[in-house]
Amino acid sequence: MAISSKRITINLLLIAAVASIPIIEKFVPLGLHISDPMTDVFVYAILGLGLNILTGFTGLLNLGVAAFAAIGAYVFAISTCEIYPFQLGFWSALGLTMAAGALAGFALGAPTLRVRGDYLAIVTLGFGEIVKDVLVNMDSITKGTQGINPLPPPTLFGHELGGSGQYWLFMVFALVVAIGARSLERSRIGRGWISIREDELASRAMGIRPDHAKMLAFATCASLAALAGALTASRLSSSGEPGNYDFQISILALCIVIVGGIGSVRGVLLGALVMVGMNSIVLVKLTELMGGSDAAPPAALADAHGLQWAFLFVKTWAQNVLISPTNWKFLVFGLALVLMMIFRPEGILPARGAKEDAPDGDEGSSGASGVGGVPGGGASPVATKELRP
Amino acid sequence: MTMATILEVRDVTMRFGGLVANERVSMSVHGGEIFAVIGPNGAGKTTLFNAITGIYEATEGQILFDGKEIRREWSRKTSFRAIGIGLATAVVAVLAYNATDLWQGAIVEKYVYAQPFPWGEAMATLVTTMRAAGFWSTWGIAVLGFILGRLGYGAIWHSQRRTPDLVSRAGIARTFQNIRLFAEMNLVENVLVGMDQHCTCGYWACLLRTPRFWREQAAMRIRAYEFLKFVELADAAGSLASSLPYGHQRRLEIARALATEPKLILLDEPAAGMNPAESADLMRLIRRIRDRGVTVVLIEHDMKVVMGISDRIVVLQHGKKIAEGTPEEIRTNPVCIAAYLGTEVVH
Repeated sequence: MAISSKRITINLLLIAAVASIPIIEKFVPLGLHISDPMTDVFVYAILGLGLNILTGFTGLLNLGVAAFAAIGAYVFAISTCEIYPFQLGFWSALGLTMAAGALAGFALGAPTLRVRGDYLAIVTLGFGEIVKDVLVNMDSITKGTQGINPLPPPTLFGHELGGSGQYWLFMVFALVVAIGARSLERSRIGRGWISIREDELASRAMGIRPDHAKMLAFATCASLAALAGALTASRLSSSGEPGNYDFQISILALCIVIVGGIGSVRGVLLGALVMVGMNSIVLVKLTELMGGSDAAPPAALADAHGLQWAFLFVKTWAQNVLISPTNWKFLVFGLALVLMMIFRPEGILPARGAKEDAPDGDEGSSGASGVGGVPGGGASPVATKELRP
Repeated sequence: MTMATILEVRDVTMRFGGLVANERVSMSVHGGEIFAVIGPNGAGKTTLFNAITGIYEATEGQILFDGKEIRREWSRKTSFRAIGIGLATAVVAVLAYNATDLWQGAIVEKYVYAQPFPWGEAMATLVTTMRAAGFWSTWGIAVLGFILGRLGYGAIWHSQRRTPDLVSRAGIARTFQNIRLFAEMNLVENVLVGMDQHCTCGYWACLLRTPRFWREQAAMRIRAYEFLKFVELADAAGSLASSLPYGHQRRLEIARALATEPKLILLDEPAAGMNPAESADLMRLIRRIRDRGVTVVLIEHDMKVVMGISDRIVVLQHGKKIAEGTPEEIRTNPVCIAAYLGTEVVH
């Protein structure tokens, strides 16, 4: 228990640190403005966790996860926007969205149960493009490339949430999804998924029903992706145009899973932070620092003429599109991914490496979910004791 | 041995194109015995195992377990499911065909911004639009969709009548010649996968971690430990399956197979790659499995093991059964000796 309570403490501290970012921003005028991109990080974390269930746990490569996000965003938009007669509230629309996402997951999962590996990747890739095109072409329903707006912002007990309210709400969503993914992973459902990834034939021979397990994985993945899409739509007050849910989003989600550690819930959370954080925090800040549109030389440089000149020189260069780091993001992503594949192909926080200090693997390290050890008193003290080396 | 027949293989032929892997093989395994299938490499032993466990469908012949074939029956639930899938396909087909028209008529034209929406009127329009679209573009499409969905489900069901998971659930477990453990899982988890078919918690119970989930989880883990103890691997319970030495991996595979609580276990070359001490341990283990009440069928090349523990032996060569009998009979059977050592007679 000592290990898991330490883990819980670390997790709680991490959560508290992340939760305090909007407060710090409010009272410490550093001009950080990272709570907005951090909200994106939470949404991508949800998307990544969903994809992780399908690709990480079950081993089914999905290159069309953005399509599920698009379905989520559009179902949410149609069910809430005031130009349609439905006008559901935020929470009921969210429920509907997740159900619709799960249905879409079934719809894609059922015909592709026998398809594996590269072939499945192609099918899902195609699905992603089809959904995008359908959304564009059914313009009497989806408003085509205009997107649907305005949408109601997230609410909580009837109150509309602003910037930091949304930040905390989305953080809680990401957290709940992470705990849920963890709970599933550490149960017979997750074991079934992982056994299919490891060896489908052997798992069938042990009585696992792969069709059943794969459908559940598809539905869960799609439902979470739809949730991510709906949350973004609500935050931006627009479904966005269908082109926003293109292949790049799917690839970004996949990169989050791979960079973080495929099959690892913590890894995916970290992956979302690294990938989206790099994209919308680090590179943006770097561009600003290098003298984006309105950067002035720091006060310290004002006196030193030489340095000021140097700053202006750099700034002029930086305004060149080629020098601005945000324009190099795909190069940076690509480089990061290549380096990852060479030096740490299992991801930053691999599924098994993260558990090295609690080799029982099934319970002790369930961390954030706070369910260390086997409950039920003396039900299985033997088990937990013998598991420790 | 006058026990009831638990597994009966009747004239099973396995053909892969022109290759005949098994030709009219028959054998019957009695409950509670240790039964060996031997034969030179390529004799079709593993193919026979694959046919028994549902990985292959026998081209001809029957495989009876406990007197009946393991096959999915078309139940009332299957009918409901087939009809449900058919209806869903029908709805999707109709929507795909004229969703925009329906939407235009029922929603766009009926809804005035910020006015209450006339639901009844909209539904009526939905019906009239569908009628106006003509018989074939609604009912025709719907019927077509239904038939498509229904037939698709039927086809999948038909191809899935005898699958490895069904065979496993019926009570036949197996191990594999080339060990197929779940490498990234630890020992307990490997065994728990075997026990999965006896778990009753569903998706929501697992997601929400209900009290029932915890009770079942605790009980299952204790049971998993018992299986690991049975194969003397409990000390390594927390380590990854891939980190085990070869002989232990074989034992873990047996534990995983036993965890499905089978009546019959098929061991495919359990002693392969083992040293004499290990195979002696294995023989003891196989006897203990039999003593638990599990019938054992094994494929083995190690004659010491085969002759030491088998009650009866079947010899296959070139996919055909060439002999059957007790170890003593097989040892002295000239046909078997010829199969293994060759003969002077050219045939």
